[in-house]
Amino acid sequence: MKKFLKKIIIGLLVFIAVNAIIMGVYEYPSYKAIQNKTHRNYLKWDAIHSPSNSFDMIIIGTSRCYAAFNPVVFDSILDTNSYNMSTSAQDIAETYYALEEIYQHQKPKYIVLDLFFETADESYDYYQIFSNSSFFKSNKRKFSLISDGYGSSGFLNYAIPLVRFKNYIKQDVSKLFSRKESLRVEDNWIKGHLHDTLIVSDSEISAFGPISNFENTSFSKERFDKYFNKINALVKKNNAKLICLRAPYPPTRLSLKDTDDEGTYFKEYTSKAQIPFFDINAKENYDEFYEDKDFADYHHANYKGARKASLEAAKFIKQIIY
Amino acid sequence: MLFNSLEFFIFLPVVFVLFWFLFKKKLKLQNLLIVVASYVFYGWWDWRFLSLIVFSSFVDYTIGVLLKNEEEERKRKILLWTSICVNIGFLGFFKYYNFFVESFIDTFSLIGVELHSSTLNIILPVGISFYTFQTLSYTIDVYNKKLEPTKDIIAFFAFVSFFPQLVAGPIERATNLLPQFYKTRKFAYENAVDGFRQVLWGFFKKVVIADNCAKYANQIFNGTEEYSGSTLLIGAFFFAFQIYGDFSGYSDIAIGISRFFGFNLKQNFAFPYFSRDIAEFWRRWHMSLSTWFRDYIYIPLGGSRGSLSLKIRNVFVIFLVSGFWHGANWTFIVWGALNALYFLPLLLAKKNRVNTDLVAEGKYFPKLKELWQMSFTFFITLLAWVFFRADSVAHAFKYLKGIFDSSLFSLPEVLPYTVLALVALFVSVEWLGRHGQYAIERIDFIKKPLRWSFYLVLIMLMFLFTGEDQVFIYFQF
Repeated sequence: MKKFLKKIIIGLLVFIAVNAIIMGVYEYPSYKAIQNKTHRNYLKWDAIHSPSNSFDMIIIGTSRCYAAFNPVVFDSILDTNSYNMSTSAQDIAETYYALEEIYQHQKPKYIVLDLFFETADESYDYYQIFSNSSFFKSNKRKFSLISDGYGSSGFLNYAIPLVRFKNYIKQDVSKLFSRKESLRVEDNWIKGHLHDTLIVSDSEISAFGPISNFENTSFSKERFDKYFNKINALVKKNNAKLICLRAPYPPTRLSLKDTDDEGTYFKEYTSKAQIPFFDINAKENYDEFYEDKDFADYHHANYKGARKASLEAAKFIKQIIY
Repeated sequence: MLFNSLEFFIFLPVVFVLFWFLFKKKLKLQNLLIVVASYVFYGWWDWRFLSLIVFSSFVDYTIGVLLKNEEEERKRKILLWTSICVNIGFLGFFKYYNFFVESFIDTFSLIGVELHSSTLNIILPVGISFYTFQTLSYTIDVYNKKLEPTKDIIAFFAFVSFFPQLVAGPIERATNLLPQFYKTRKFAYENAVDGFRQVLWGFFKKVVIADNCAKYANQIFNGTEEYSGSTLLIGAFFFAFQIYGDFSGYSDIAIGISRFFGFNLKQNFAFPYFSRDIAEFWRRWHMSLSTWFRDYIYIPLGGSRGSLSLKIRNVFVIFLVSGFWHGANWTFIVWGALNALYFLPLLLAKKNRVNTDLVAEGKYFPKLKELWQMSFTFFITLLAWVFFRADSVAHAFKYLKGIFDSSLFSLPEVLPYTVLALVALFVSVEWLGRHGQYAIERIDFIKKPLRWSFYLVLIMLMFLFTGEDQVFIYFQF
């Protein structure tokens, strides 16, 4: 028995060592970025945790949201002090706990939530989720996010870096065998909004697929409903107003399918919940208003697309709050 | 509780420690622990259905005791049939009630008679097909006086509910497993290490092979009309590896875990995709079920003896029952019938026991003839799997029609190279390890650093290529 247990322990130690190496490789750049005060999530949470800031509007969602909505444009039209707290691959459970954390340090009167099917699907980017939540000051909240949001799968991903970084490891391994692409630099941030000057290439446009719908995502209505209601209740409890938006898609992608599951679903859902919802993709003559070149890739607006989206969204919000 | 769940990774060490440290040398307590642990394991899914296992165990235990004291043949038969009726009754109700009602209504509607009856919203208790057959084998063996009935109720309850194989087999015979509950156990290092290795290989099969193949098999089967013949063939190929990786992976994990506790379960899969004919395939696929049917249905019916019509009848009976055992759907029955059609020519030509040895024994590569035989057997098996996987018989025919289309020779629209590479790696390891009970059983000849590196690579692959969690396919049976 001793020999067996000894081998199990050695095996576990080797496994831990491998995980430690992976952790080092993938977390070190984040560690350095935090040290240099260039880590985007660190900077965002630093802004929230800083008592000298007093934000009255928080814009929140995924990378689609931080690319599309510029708080400076919002502020100029709405006379607010807004901040974009969207983070990459943000999940709806993460949004709820991020808002809880925000409300502990700020008193925003308006929460602008970007709706996107993939925030409530069944695949999670745990690396991004844990990266964002690692800046929560409340450990209890970090724990709640994992246990309530993701259950045992969340704990497994939290505990085992090999699982958490698996997609990144696979990407890096496949890069070894493919043509090297230059790294995209995302360092121009304005109040949490990414001012992206990249323009999608023609070859990327020709490879566009349909936007998120019921077939190509694992969108869970139950999961969305659960956390949307929690977000709504939290916002109400803080005497604030919830407003929903939907970031723009390149017109070519929108035209690939006759139906828009995502837009229709969110329109009906918010209408039932009596929450104002602005979907720029449903704008009349959308394909004249937007062109594919207003995007950095298949679903992130670049600075030109962001300006259009922010202006339109701000006009809509103005009608609501004034 | 699933083997590939966090709960199980906590549950197993706890049971292991209690079993070997707290209850060491206390046989009765160890057996009791197995019963309790097995009920927790099963009840984690739905505790209400525990009552079925308890009741079934109690009935068969009591019947076993009564059979021991009963000499009168008529009464012995009544006892046997009581057990059969109770066990098959539960199975029939939970698994087949709706199927029979629906088929009955459909049959009458064909002749213009519209019947109205409502089906019930019945939940199929996980593993019912497995433990039912296990307890039945006990009563039948006791009735046939092949086995001494047990007086040890705890040992019997532990035999029926033994958690590693409770929900998806291997279906153990009382003659093999029950006596292991009477013997004092001693921890054997070699057994435990071997068990650990088998568990590792089982997880690799499930998590890396089955779950990743499942993703593409599901995608292609769900979009049958959209894909070319070559893609549909790839879909069937992925399903073949999904079901093999899934089910044999579960068996490997079950056998391996049992070895941690000093139990030896029967081999359930013996590299079936290296079979040279369909008879060999059925000697190597789900062996615990095939031998169950052979011993309790096929042989009592006369087996391969008797007239030609009797032989044909027996082959069809066993394959149809096997299909029906898998599920209450015509697709499984057609799958069974198709396999019977494959098997029958071999039996009639008395060539069903030609390939009883190991293919290319002692060689690295098979002969060209063997390669052709294996490829052909795999191909016809793959076509049969289409019925097994399809939503309906009509869907299966549509799928097969789609395969044999002119687009069969076009480039598939779905061609995931990574998954194909993983399957190729898997097949290579299985081929090299086909002499053992499982592929990496005889890996000891490799030097330790290399061996450990291989284990580490397997573990890394498991974590890196964890597909979307798929429930073990055989849970539904």
